[in-house]
Parts: sequence; structure tokens; C-alpha cells
Amino acid sequence: MKNIVIGQYVPGDGFLYRLDPRTKLIAVIILMVAVFLLETIIELVVAFGLVILLLIAGKISIVRVAKGLKPLFVLLLFTFFFQILFNKEGTLLVEEILSLNPANLGLGLLLTVLWRLLARFGKFKTILLFLWIAGIYCLLRYVAIAPQWTTFSLQIHEKGIEMSVFVVIRLLIIISLSTIMTLTTKPTDLTQGLEKLMRPLKVIGIKSDDFALIISISLRYIPTILDEANKIMAAQASRGADFSEGGLKEKIKQVISLLVPMFIIAFKRSEELADAMESRNFVPGKKRTRIHELSFGWKDAVTSVVILLCLAASITLKVIG
Amino acid sequence: MSMINIQDVTFSYTGKRLILKDINLTVEQGEWVAILGHNGSGKSTLAKLLVGLLEPKSGTIAIDGVLLTPDTLYEERKKIGIVFQNPDNQFVGVSVRDDIAFGMENLNVPREEMLEKIQFYAEKVGMSDLLEKEPSTLSGGQKQRVAIAGILAMQTKIMIFDEATSMLDPTSRNELMAYISTLHDEGITIIMITHDMEEALYADRLVVLKEGAIFEDDAKATLLRKPERFREARLDLPMALKIQSGLSKTDEKEKRVRDFLWEFVSAK
Ligand SMILES: Nc1ncnc2c1ncn2[C@@H]1O[C@H](COP(=O)(O)OP(=O)(O)O)[C@@H](O)[C@H]1O
Ligand SMILES: [Mg+2]
Repeated sequence: MKNIVIGQYVPGDGFLYRLDPRTKLIAVIILMVAVFLLETIIELVVAFGLVILLLIAGKISIVRVAKGLKPLFVLLLFTFFFQILFNKEGTLLVEEILSLNPANLGLGLLLTVLWRLLARFGKFKTILLFLWIAGIYCLLRYVAIAPQWTTFSLQIHEKGIEMSVFVVIRLLIIISLSTIMTLTTKPTDLTQGLEKLMRPLKVIGIKSDDFALIISISLRYIPTILDEANKIMAAQASRGADFSEGGLKEKIKQVISLLVPMFIIAFKRSEELADAMESRNFVPGKKRTRIHELSFGWKDAVTSVVILLCLAASITLKVIG
Repeated sequence: MSMINIQDVTFSYTGKRLILKDINLTVEQGEWVAILGHNGSGKSTLAKLLVGLLEPKSGTIAIDGVLLTPDTLYEERKKIGIVFQNPDNQFVGVSVRDDIAFGMENLNVPREEMLEKIQFYAEKVGMSDLLEKEPSTLSGGQKQRVAIAGILAMQTKIMIFDEATSMLDPTSRNELMAYISTLHDEGITIIMITHDMEEALYADRLVVLKEGAIFEDDAKATLLRKPERFREARLDLPMALKIQSGLSKTDEKEKRVRDFLWEFVSAK
């Protein structure tokens, strides 16, 4: 818990590390727009290839980025199946009659229990998930014993396959882009970059430097607060509380017993932090010099030109395509 | 003109119980004052009053000849640096470097100068190799050193340390005290709040608080001759004095040890 890392920043020395965070923020936004303008799978595959090239050029390990994608795996899977099952355009490719009856429902439940058990104690979670999906499908498709409750047809259309691949690649590109940014930019630099970019918002009354300070203080205190939660939980466990067992009522009681001390400590902490800031001459909204300086160099200029070319290319494709 | 002038100050948090009662205290420029007292005697409260984080219920506080009021507060505060008790709750920056910079940023110190000072003061507290570290990876003692460096870098006329060395190991505490002594020689006014008598021995003058009132206020050498007063304020005596009180007054050899120990506590 002590060495928890906020964001996904991994120290390195590729050229992406030396870009100004503002350049990276704007680049990610522009590239996302450019990707959304693309209309065919081939274009997207080319774009994906470019992202891979960027990874290689920036000396970022592809494994790292893939790890960053892992938490979003379920989202990708869901998007894929959603498109494939519910897009009814184009020629019909596959039609399967599925049925639901007491026999396959019972077997399905058994399969689910088995899957959860194995997933809890085993290793190959992703493979198990696929096996489960396949198992349920086979049950619905092939176990058709009377009495049937209901039958429904599963249709896969040409456009459905196309769209599912299309949407998944697009998502992959977008997630990879933002992962590349967070991998190569320190959270401090990101907030600093955001602050500078938000500066024009001053005219509508948003003070970007106070906002950035709030973000950086939150970043600074997340590990401390997690640490504290752990300590309180350990203290309560040593007095016999068990956070993993008990009914709903027990659980709620345990959560409250965790939250109350945490709130009290958080209030005391914020009070003392405010005192410390004030005694060090902090006055909200007042001009202050900054230790971090962002510098927009030739690398940033080159990057900006390349990014704008990408945008121009996808606009052109959209217009002529 | 005195550096700090506290007149007839009383204070309470809730309105009922008085935490500080009739405090009168004058500190001249360049003095090194230790404020001693048992836990809960009101030391931290007094420190917060001095930097205007709390307002007295009655009485006045003047810094460098200027009365603390809501109008003068922001200017006067620039003359005082304070290190608080809990190192975890005063770490504002995301890294050691950022935290040392925070006070200077607020004082609009130019960036180049900040970078130099960070290097200089980080070295003074032995943190120069850890400038990029995040606070969650530091020990309590390391966080205390960062807080101290942040205050030193602001180069204020008055420096207040509220039990600021409680988590330091003896060696680094001695090093820090040696550095504070050089600041003292340069004319900086030092207020060291502590319940540790060994630390108080570095001061010229001792102020003892008991239940929110000033119980003793005298030169160190004078007050150390009245050890019973410390016991009454529930303070531990310095080790050297404890040893001394166990030695015979007549035996020639033991008398020499006594004299040596006395030299030791009064000359620090
Ligand atoms: N924010 C607060 N609200 C109410 N009472 C407080 C607060 N802070 C301190 N006190 C009380 O004031 C008294 C003096 O506290 P403090 O100045 O922190 O003493 P010391 O620093 O000498 O240990 C204690 O009895 C404490 O309980
Ligand atoms: Mg205190």
C-alpha cells in the first residue's frame, strides 16, 4: 500500500516523455476526433498500425499498454457482442434457433457455479470466461428437450460482424492513445498542463490554478487515505470484525465503522492542511510563481504538425469517401 | 522594538473553557526561546495565535511592532515561518521538491532562485537525494525534514518549530540544531515548542506553560537551578540534571562531575 502509484506513469526516456504535457493532451483530443471521422475498417486498421508504430518509436512496451487495456476488456467484449447480436443490417449470415427449458437452465446454472469457483481459485480467468460463454451457447443451442419454455432465433448479419470489428478497433485505438499519454506523463505535469490549457476559462470565472492545486492535493492524499483505511480495517479486524463475512446488515455496520473514523480524520487533516498552507502565505487566487515550468520546444512543434496532418488526412478521407 | 509582543491574551475554542489565560510574553529580535509544557498545556494553540490562524478572545499580539489584525495579517505572516507538529498534514506538494517550493511560490520567488534554494536547504536537512520522492514513500522523520526545509527556504525573521523534530533520529536532530544555531547567530528569532527538555537546552530562555498560563519565564541557567518547578509543570528534567541530583555535594570527585554536568546543560 505504501508504494501505490497514482495514474499509470512509468518512468522512461522515449521522446514521448520529453513532450510538453499540453502537446500530449491536445494531441490525444485531436487524434480521437480524427479517429471518429474514419469510416472504413481498412482506415481504422491503418490507424491502429500507426498507433503501434508510435509505441515502437516512443520505446513504450506493448505489454504495458496491453496491461492498461485489461480493466477495459469486459467493455470491449460487451461492445463486440452487442454489435454482433443486435445489428440487423446487411445479408443474413447465420441463423440459429435457441431454446430455453428446465434442462438447459439447470445445466447452465451448474456451469455458472463451476465457472465462478474455478475463476476464484484458478488462473486462466479470460479463457474460463470464454469457455463459459461457449458452454452456455451450446446448452441453449443443442439441449432442446421438452417441455420448452420459449425459443428465440439468434441472427448474425454481415453488417453486424463488420460493425463489431469496427467499433472494437476504434475503442482499442482510443484507449491506447490515452494510455500512452498517462504512461508517459507524470500526474503533476498533467495537472500543470490542464491548468495552462484551462487558463482562457478565466473569462467565465474558473480559476484554473486553484483547480490544479485541488487536483494535485487530491493526488497527494489518495495513498495516505487508502493507507489509513487499511490501518483502521486492521485495527477493527484485531478487535474481531470480519469485513468479508456476515449478512447485509453486518456489512453495512462494518462499512459505517470504517467510514466514521475516516471522515473524522479527513476533517482534522483538511483543517491542519489548510492551516499549513495559510501559514506558508497561500492566498487563494493570488498570483504565485511556479516551480514547474512547461516549455514548448521543437519536438512539440513537430508533433503538432504531424497530428494536424493526421486530422487533415481523416477529414479528406471523410469528404472523398 | 520587540519582535513578538503578546499582551493579556486569552483564548478559547468553544467559548467555555479557557485554553490560554492572561498570556504576556515579549520576545526580542535574535532570541532563542523554548516554550515548554505538558501535552494539552496550550503550546500549539499559542503558536497558531502567533501566525494569526486563530484570533485571541481578548488581548493583542504584535509582530515586529505591527499589531496583528485582519488587515495586517497577510503582510506580517511573511515574517514568520512555522513548522507544525504533524508532518503528514502539512505536506502540500506532490513531491519533496514541490513541497519545499510551496511557500516560496506563494512569496513569488523567481524560479531560478527557488531551484537554488531548494537544493541548498534540502542539503541542510539531508534530503537532497530524495527531491523527486512522493510523500507516501517517505518516513515521518523525512517528512518532518521536508517541512523544515520548506520553512527555512522562506528565510523568515521568526521561525517557530512546534515539536518539529519529534521523529528525527538523534544524529539528524543534532545536525539540525547546529544549523538552527547558525541562523540564531545571524539574528533570526527562534521559538522552539517542545516537551523535550534536551531540545529546550539549546535555547537561551525557557517559557513554561501549565494549564494555559505562563508558569515560568526565565533565562535557562536561572530556571535550571529550580528543578522542582519543572516537576510541578509535569516536565521531565534533562538527563544531565537527573544524574547531577543523584551525586553527592561534598565528595570532591563527584562535585567535579556535578560542575561538569552543570557546564554542559547551561552552555549548550
Ligand atoms: N481545534 C480544537 N478545538 C477544540 N479544542 C482544542 C482544539 N485544539 C486543541 N484543543 C484543546 O486545547 C488544549 C490545548 O491544546 P494544544 O494547544 O494542542 O496543546 P499542546 O500543543 O500544548 O499539546 C487541549 O486541551 C486541547 O484538547
Ligand atoms: Mg501541540
